Amino acid sequence: MEDYPEELRTPPVSLVSIVGCPEMHATISAALSSQQPPMSTLALPDFAKANILSRTAKSRDPLAPPQAATGILKKDWLLKHRTRVPAAVAAMFRADQVTGDPAQWLQACSDLENLKSIIQGRHSKLVVILVQTQAGDELGEEVMVALRKRAEIDSKHLIVLVESDEAERNASLLKLRTIFAELCSTYYKEEGRRIKARIEKRNFSSVELSVRYCFKVAVYAEFRRDWPEALKFYEEGVRVLREMIGTSTRLPPTQRLVEIKAVADQFHFKISTLLLHAGKVVEAITWFRKHIRSFERVVGSPEVAFLHWEWFSRQFLVFGELIETTSTTVPDTISPRFGTADNALTEWEFQPAYYYQLAANYLREKRCALECPSSRANLTGDSEIPDSVMSSVYVGQYVRLFEEGDTISVLPLSDAEYTSYALSEAERFQDSYEIIALFRKAYESFLSLGATRMASSCSAGMAIEYYAAGEFGNAKKLFDGVAGLYRQEGWTTLLWENLGYLRECSRKLNSLVNFISYSLEMAALPLFSGSVQGNSENKSNGPAGWPTISRREEIQQEVVNILEGKHTSQVMDDEFNLQLTEESTQLVIDQISPLRIVLVASVAFHDQSVKPGSPLLVSVSLLSHLPSPVAIDQLEVRFNQSDCNFVMVSAQEDSSTLNSDVHGQVVHSTSLTLFSNKWMRLTHEVKSGQSGKLECLSVKAIINKHLVVCCQAESPASMEDFPLWKFEDQVETLPTKDAALAFSGQKLIQVEEPDTQVDLVLDSTGPALVGELFVVPVTILSKGHAVHSGELKINLVDAKGGGLLMSPGEADESESHHVELLGVSTATGDEVSKEEVDNIKKIQYSFGVVSVPTLVAGDSWSCKLEIKWHGAKSLMLYVSLGYSLDSSGDASLHRLNVHRSLQVEGKIPMIVGHQFLRPFRREPLLLSRIRSSSGDDKKDSLAMNESNMLIVSARNCTEVPLRLHSIAIESDGDGKQLCSVEQISGLSDEYAVVAPSAEYKAIFSVNPRASNPDFYLGELCLNWSRDLVLGENQDSRVTMKQRLPEVHIEEPPLVMSIECPPYAILGTPFTFYVKIHNSTSLLQEIKYSLVDSQNFVFSGAHNHAAFILPKTEHTLSHKLVPLGSGSQQLPRITVASVRYSAALTPPTSATSVFVYPSEPKFNLEKSHPMSDECVS
Amino acid sequence: MIVCVAVVGHQNNPLYLQSFTEADDALKLHHVVHCSLDVIDERVNNPKKSAPTLNETFLGLLYPTENYKVYGYLTNTKVKFLMVTTDLDVKDADARNFFRKFHAAYVDAVSNPFHVPGKKIASRSFGARVSTIVKSFGSGTVG
Repeated sequence: MEDYPEELRTPPVSLVSIVGCPEMHATISAALSSQQPPMSTLALPDFAKANILSRTAKSRDPLAPPQAATGILKKDWLLKHRTRVPAAVAAMFRADQVTGDPAQWLQACSDLENLKSIIQGRHSKLVVILVQTQAGDELGEEVMVALRKRAEIDSKHLIVLVESDEAERNASLLKLRTIFAELCSTYYKEEGRRIKARIEKRNFSSVELSVRYCFKVAVYAEFRRDWPEALKFYEEGVRVLREMIGTSTRLPPTQRLVEIKAVADQFHFKISTLLLHAGKVVEAITWFRKHIRSFERVVGSPEVAFLHWEWFSRQFLVFGELIETTSTTVPDTISPRFGTADNALTEWEFQPAYYYQLAANYLREKRCALECPSSRANLTGDSEIPDSVMSSVYVGQYVRLFEEGDTISVLPLSDAEYTSYALSEAERFQDSYEIIALFRKAYESFLSLGATRMASSCSAGMAIEYYAAGEFGNAKKLFDGVAGLYRQEGWTTLLWENLGYLRECSRKLNSLVNFISYSLEMAALPLFSGSVQGNSENKSNGPAGWPTISRREEIQQEVVNILEGKHTSQVMDDEFNLQLTEESTQLVIDQISPLRIVLVASVAFHDQSVKPGSPLLVSVSLLSHLPSPVAIDQLEVRFNQSDCNFVMVSAQEDSSTLNSDVHGQVVHSTSLTLFSNKWMRLTHEVKSGQSGKLECLSVKAIINKHLVVCCQAESPASMEDFPLWKFEDQVETLPTKDAALAFSGQKLIQVEEPDTQVDLVLDSTGPALVGELFVVPVTILSKGHAVHSGELKINLVDAKGGGLLMSPGEADESESHHVELLGVSTATGDEVSKEEVDNIKKIQYSFGVVSVPTLVAGDSWSCKLEIKWHGAKSLMLYVSLGYSLDSSGDASLHRLNVHRSLQVEGKIPMIVGHQFLRPFRREPLLLSRIRSSSGDDKKDSLAMNESNMLIVSARNCTEVPLRLHSIAIESDGDGKQLCSVEQISGLSDEYAVVAPSAEYKAIFSVNPRASNPDFYLGELCLNWSRDLVLGENQDSRVTMKQRLPEVHIEEPPLVMSIECPPYAILGTPFTFYVKIHNSTSLLQEIKYSLVDSQNFVFSGAHNHAAFILPKTEHTLSHKLVPLGSGSQQLPRITVASVRYSAALTPPTSATSVFVYPSEPKFNLEKSHPMSDECVS
Repeated sequence: MIVCVAVVGHQNNPLYLQSFTEADDALKLHHVVHCSLDVIDERVNNPKKSAPTLNETFLGLLYPTENYKVYGYLTNTKVKFLMVTTDLDVKDADARNFFRKFHAAYVDAVSNPFHVPGKKIASRSFGARVSTIVKSFGSGTVG
């Protein structure tokens, strides 16, 4: 766009001129240019300079017939009108010049006359400015009138400018501006109308003039900002120009076309600029399409076709730049359905990148036309390049300067001369770099739009230019990038072209490995079946020609020839010097390499796991898509365990050529030839090595002795499709004959560990009891393997899952662990040295590691795990022994492991219960019990100063007999003083054996001495151990503690005691006493009632009341005669205290008596006092 | 005149591409067809623009380039049909009609039980049928 002159690129600005009074010029021109629309000022300091405004004198004879135009547009016409032909001229006089001195007045008049005559031919308008120093200066009216008459102007075109007063000056400047704007508009309108009249009357001698007039009218319209009119005439101009191509005969055809296109270019530029600046994007693009279509085929003679393409390319470039600079967006008003009847435009046409890409394409066309031999042939010899050719005054015309002595004349050129001139000019330019720059612009822009394929196409264009320019490094880099996209999307024909270039680049860059790999990839490419093309010599397909099978075979053969050192002249040019410089060339093919289509290796073991040392079968399958058979000299299969590596050698190959560094086995195979698209399947037996993973890493094929192709081994189960070939319509073949193996085969196999020959025994003596130190003996028994650096790992896991053996949230405290691993002791006990204790590496609550001493075969070692249960919990005990067979350090990798597990139940050994009893036949009135009878307070109440009974029962709930060593109540200091506890019955011997599910009871008497609502009696302590047959181990005694609940101790206000003989005899009367003791200091009223019993008759009141004095006792006595024998219930007595409104009823057990039918005869001595039985 | 027709699979891989031109621009046509896939992506993936054309298979003029104009068509299975022509004025109806016949031919070709979906179309009868459709293009026999 910068090629266009400034006046064409910017909208025209009206020009006015001011003459005289140079000191005011800066102020005036600043005022005129700062306003909208601006005006430029041509300032002339004095009237003598006014001559430059005059028309250049034309020596044309007015009577001569009108000369045919020699060109369409003069180059400087627009410039002239923008800089030298003012629309209005202002003559400036100072006030003192026109008043006073008559000589000065005369001078002013003559200057004015002179100016008038100068501008008359131009039709420029005249303005007179009088400059006053001060506002107050008097100017005679007659002076003004005289001046106006002299200048022949309206009164409003005479302006008085006051110099000193700023406000006045600004007002007059504004006035001047308005006058100038008005005059400019009139001037340009008149000029335009004058020329338009000529067009309308068709008053012109040649079609060239018609175009020129159109241009002028349009420019005048632009001067007065009448854009639609300007557009109309520009378009008309282009139309006429287009018609001119066939009709004009003024110039030789080539130059004529050049001129027409140059003019059309300017017209088109103007139209595009006008449309785009007006925001009419759609119109602009539609216009551009029309423009391109009308000039697309106007190529001219083939010799100068390059000129056409250069011009054509520039159209795209300039339009692209215009779209970019006006930052065009797709207008919302147009239909989003691009490319259909609703909206003929497409998305890309709004993007500058589209135009840049096409500009680059056409510029490339120019380069091709320039390089084409036909354009050159006619020129050489025909005419030499003429000297001093220059562009003429007309747009798009060239002339020759001819010097003869002092006179310089301008001669027209012949077409041949012009062509050779243009050719020599064109050769001076490096088109390649311009093409690359255009493509790069388009590439970046397309990439930012997300159009990767367009971008790739631009990238490929750049690469081809670099290639043509001989910059192979850059070309290769770009081609490589593009090839990736084509590979991914499977555009094989495009990839073929690309690889053809890449191959040539590598050849030029002397890179043998790249050359071979690109060649092999090309040779292995599938052909796009739908595009069989006959002629492969076509240049436009790049250096590779058109893909055919024969071409693929040729390329493969070329590689083979290089490898064999044969240089065939067919593929060789002089620069080609690819030599095998090294011993061999290595290609590595991994799973993402594009060379997978050249060779792929699939390796499958026939089994999934194997014992160490046993033989196993492995299938190696190779597939190549190369068109010709490939003979493999040697195939080397590598595993991660190098002992398993093996090499297959073709029978034709001499085995002496084998590399000496191959360790594995060597197998001779009859033939190792790969045919196109056919799997070569080889099965081999290898011996599995060490335990662990055995994986096939790579398959190395040596082809033609010098090419080493190293393929990463792939499992058939996870093998991916072949890129590019997966779209081919062909039968899919499997890498192995066994279809199951082809779908599930793996390239790795698990070699199992050798069988362990060490036994690990876990012993357990039934369920563990909570609290005891439970011992699990562990024995390691070597049955053939020596144990070196053995390690025993112990793990305690909750058998119900969850893994945690502690209550959550309290992980820190050891009490929170339900089960705890306390330690490990060796069987030899005392002999454990200090060092060995240190060897116990780590014992945690649920995890332990213990080192095992070195054991020779046949030896055994044992230890005991000490585990303590804090709660009833089922536990899984995992013990694993890891060891190595020898003591050397590196063998630690191959450790053998033995695992054992054992489930151990944790059980609570005894359930301890307790029960409080009141003294026999003594019933204290405990008020708290009455009050809380309905409440949920289950606290036991004890009467103060009474001997209460406490029965403690311990039930063995295990399956083994337990020894109970002691049962005691341990109370704290306070408790001892306030309450005496003594054991009445209990363990008489050293211990008592409690059989499973048997119960042992102990009786305590509790005599509290102080009342206390929350009395803590103490802890029940049971000391027990397992009833082992063997000697008792003191350590194994376990103390089990259980806290007794708190009791309520209170002083009873009334105590009722019943006295009655221990037995009765049928028919014999006895007395039954009920004594009620009042321990309060109050008088107590009681009421009592006695219920009849059918077995007794009694004397005394059924119901009665009595008063008991404080601290005294009241006795009720009834005489009873038993009527029936056996255990009989005495008549039921209920004593009620009126004060407390509480009744006391003795329990039935306390009010029964055994009635003998007659006096019993006891064998016991009489001395045994039976009356003791009466418990008071 | 139609110079090239193509069927492009849903992974943007070419399934069928046939040029009908005497000139040596077969490779160029590959480039043109490949680049026009960008326009299809743009039209299909731009939800705002594709909203009114949701059920429209005919994509219209994809882009004009040099002497060619590329028209596109997208089936429900995301298979793209492309047609490259050198005609200056192509009626929408003609293009639609062409693609409809082309689509029918494609459906018949892939309905062949021996055809594996997603692979190249190698059927000769498909090729012959496409040639007939191409020859009849623009000859006025609309319908």
